[in-house]
Amino acid sequence: MEKKIMFWARECPHCRNMIPLVDKLEEETDVKLERLEIWHNEKNADLMRSFKDVIAPKCGGQLRTPTFFDTETNDVICGKVEYEKLKEWALK
Amino acid sequence: MKKHWRCFVCNDIHYGIKPPEICPTCQVKNAYVKTSSAEAETICGGAEAEKVDFNKDIFLEAIEKFTENNEFQVNPDREKVNLLLEGIFNNEKNHGLKYCPCRLITKDFKEDLKLVCPCNFLIHSTYKEKGECWCGLFKRRK
Repeated sequence: MEKKIMFWARECPHCRNMIPLVDKLEEETDVKLERLEIWHNEKNADLMRSFKDVIAPKCGGQLRTPTFFDTETNDVICGKVEYEKLKEWALK
Repeated sequence: MKKHWRCFVCNDIHYGIKPPEICPTCQVKNAYVKTSSAEAETICGGAEAEKVDFNKDIFLEAIEKFTENNEFQVNPDREKVNLLLEGIFNNEKNHGLKYCPCRLITKDFKEDLKLVCPCNFLIHSTYKEKGECWCGLFKRRK
């Protein structure tokens, strides 16, 4: 089943900056993101690691937060981005 | 392959492919001899070594000192720095080393050493383009 995931970290400032934009996205559209914290939840960390081959090449070769990942299309955004770019990714 | 080296004069320990030509502590030239990891660990953990119990304040002081003669500084945004330090120390407590709070370890130890703060952020695209390391702890001076 298709999932749109936001991998985030509790002490990552960019993630904190992106959370209000994700809230806004969910209010304005039908899109719902699964928000998975990766430094304090090993299951979430393992899930992110399982997508390393897809995510890392698009994120400087590493697993970085925040990462927005579509499990169906493999579309990835990593880092802090403008709302419009996030929305474009979500509605693609 | 990196190895441990010991200065035969002052017992400084160096870890690396090659030892320094001049010992930074006693200034003696060609003083390093290859040693065992066990001996290096014993010497480093010995009574003579200053026992530094790193907390966030001491780490901040260390990285500020580290940036003094560099083109970058610790981010002046203290709120951001405090959040990052919280993450760095949580990662050390929960995962063994001061890993960057904005990246995830792969469980390949050699690869994950690239994530220990301060990392070699000069090669990050964010540093090259925006003047900040990935997490934003370090920022190029204006």
